[in-house]
Amino acid sequence: MIKSILAVVAIFILGNFSNSLFAQQKFEKESRLAQSDVPMNALNFIDSLNLKNKVKWYLEEGLERKSIEAKFKRNRKKHSVEFDALGNIEDVEIEMKWDELTTPLKNSISTRLQKDCIKHRINKIQIQYTGNQIPLFLKLLSGKPTEDLTVKYEIIVKCRSEKSTELFEYLFTDKGHFVLASQIIFKPSYHLEY
Amino acid sequence: MNINKFHIATFIVFIQFLNSASAQSTYQFGLLPSINLNYKLENDWSLNSKIESRQLLQTGKFNGSTESEYNYILTDISMITAKKVGLNSRVAGGYLIRLREEKLFHRFIQQYTVVQRLSALRLVHRFSTDQTFSKEEKPEFRLRYRIASEIPLNGESVDPQEFYFKFNNEYLNSWQDSDYDLEIRLVPLLGYNLKNNDKIEVGMGYRVNSFLDNTTRHSFWTSINWFLEI
Repeated sequence: MIKSILAVVAIFILGNFSNSLFAQQKFEKESRLAQSDVPMNALNFIDSLNLKNKVKWYLEEGLERKSIEAKFKRNRKKHSVEFDALGNIEDVEIEMKWDELTTPLKNSISTRLQKDCIKHRINKIQIQYTGNQIPLFLKLLSGKPTEDLTVKYEIIVKCRSEKSTELFEYLFTDKGHFVLASQIIFKPSYHLEY
Repeated sequence: MNINKFHIATFIVFIQFLNSASAQSTYQFGLLPSINLNYKLENDWSLNSKIESRQLLQTGKFNGSTESEYNYILTDISMITAKKVGLNSRVAGGYLIRLREEKLFHRFIQQYTVVQRLSALRLVHRFSTDQTFSKEEKPEFRLRYRIASEIPLNGESVDPQEFYFKFNNEYLNSWQDSDYDLEIRLVPLLGYNLKNNDKIEVGMGYRVNSFLDNTTRHSFWTSINWFLEI
């Protein structure tokens, strides 16, 4: 009897191992990247900022593309600089506080969130700059954005609807116009709960 | 207190317990394999069923005699139903049946869990109570708190085909008849995330109890856990 149970368990485990090894899987994967594996363009860009704090590098692998992300703190604010797989800069994201937004922007964002949620709480705000390398470099160096950059706001919101409470990522333009909202799906936590 | 300091403090407590082990203290060493199946239902409901077996390989006294012999001890089978009540919280209730030396123990479980998602780790606080009944023993009532942390070993989150470190620390207050006891459990585990719904963990759990009345019992259980979401 015990042998039969063990055999069934072994078949289950081996089945799952083989699926994970040979089947095509659809997932996004993020992993730490050693500085020696970072493309020279990206490394030079970050080096030229003369940062005092440590820079952590990450590789993000999706189904269709790979990107590289440098994360660091500057002036007590969390920065994230995204590059493509060749090390060409794509965007800069800087964490900020709700109070730092202008009143018209706050009103516009709040109106949208009040429309979508019965009750909401903003968990995180990031200003996102997209553009060419030189304007992005100047933004990071001086702190002041140039006109050549596209500015958007990425906001993580806990939103309570009639059905349930979920976490969403909203994207707004620099004028506070709604661009898109996507629900954040959490990874299962059964192994931590039971 | 950040999580590293918390782990260091817990480790120091663990070492103190080991150091305080006198000739009177007994220990057990064995295996604790488990299979944990989870089912997602509609409207934020979920089911968890678990089978866990305890097998003894060695018993003895610190600085004293040792006895190595394989002994099957017990099997626990449980079914718990849970409902998500907030973005990060869940209430659950269930039933466990314990088969031990042809005796049956019935346990009713109630629990509340809160998940904390930090930038590079996840913490889960579990508050639970249970009541155990059997023909042979007086009812036992327990009040438990467990903190579980998951630390990715690559990047800021545990992705498929990545390893992680898990650390459970639990405090169990139990009342049986007129006796009170406190048990402390520390379980460091190395996990591998085959897929997001399929995980395997291996570790060595440490439990200490009866230290309040100076008959300290230490037990070391090798955990092999398999978590599967269907």
